[in-house]
Amino acid sequence: MSDKEDKTIIRIKEIESINLARDDIRDEVIETKKAVERDNDLLANKVHQSFIDNNIKSFDIVGAIGAGKTALLEKITEKLSSQYRILVICGDITTRVDADRIEKHNAETIQINTGRECALNAYHIHKIIKNKDLKNYDVVFIENVGNLICPSDFILGTDKRLIVVSTTEGEWVVEKHPMLFKMSDIAVINKFDLKERLGTDVDKMISDAKKINPKIEVITTSAKTGENIEKLMNLMGL
Amino acid sequence: MKEELVKIEELIRSFDDIDKSDIKGLMQRFFTKLSNRLENYVGDYPTFIEPVYLEDNVKIGDDVLLGPNVYIGANSLIQDYVEISNTIIFDNVKIGQNFKLENCIVAKDSSFNFKNLNIKSSVLIGAANSKDELQSIKF
Repeated sequence: MSDKEDKTIIRIKEIESINLARDDIRDEVIETKKAVERDNDLLANKVHQSFIDNNIKSFDIVGAIGAGKTALLEKITEKLSSQYRILVICGDITTRVDADRIEKHNAETIQINTGRECALNAYHIHKIIKNKDLKNYDVVFIENVGNLICPSDFILGTDKRLIVVSTTEGEWVVEKHPMLFKMSDIAVINKFDLKERLGTDVDKMISDAKKINPKIEVITTSAKTGENIEKLMNLMGL
Repeated sequence: MKEELVKIEELIRSFDDIDKSDIKGLMQRFFTKLSNRLENYVGDYPTFIEPVYLEDNVKIGDDVLLGPNVYIGANSLIQDYVEISNTIIFDNVKIGQNFKLENCIVAKDSSFNFKNLNIKSSVLIGAANSKDELQSIKF
């Protein structure tokens, strides 16, 4: 690889938006972006096939920091770990806090620290399952990095994607983040126990989600009180 | 974990006569025992897929992906855009920019002073300033 090519690649890696590309490398940036998306999708299909071949039910759980993704997973794994062999992959910028919380409920966990990346991608998941004997698992949960934007760029190859929002985020959170709702199968509105105190318009959140994605299943939960957790598990087919 | 590490280091010492079947088994046993240790590296938040074990004073560049199953010895340098999985790197090693190592062992004090290498299932050893100078054995 020549020094010039090397510099171009480094420049492409540094550019997060096509709009920032100089005219002379704009084509290259667009092609690179397309290739990355294509490669992710191919790998995600491969991951999904591995899950299917091993009769594994798989879920990608996305949502903002503090929405309650980990708390919901704690409740679910607590209820399921006596009947299913569970693997939970936790994505975070840094720390092992979430994996440690979930591990207490008898699920095996693997932490991915993404460093500067704001979402997990299919390559991360592929790296993990290549090193695992998938015959040892019945259910795989992937808790994505906490935010409502970047995970929409990368599918991971799971059966279903759950998006978790909460009453503390306010009633506009759904309409402000349409992309992830479009790409999800189940929308969970968590912290329902705080609805009255906060005065959040949950009906608006539900109708916004349905407007964006008419096929999406919407459920209100409270990971704290356990409200509707069983119902959520039924929706997930667990 | 340390026991397997010592045995692996001993095995690769006889570089021209490595028992390849022993290496695979030892590496597998080592990785099943590998724990996480990420506290003492120098660098800005690489991507880690656990387990990753870093001895003291490992320097890590930008856009680096380490794991799963990575052990890096003390005072080693991992430069920008490197990707390493299922690999053991002993002490005082220098890995060049944009290296991709999968299922490799890198001997102590090795130094690779060039960019862009993609290599699998190999023992790497010594100092090299270009790909042509690289000493490696497939296993």
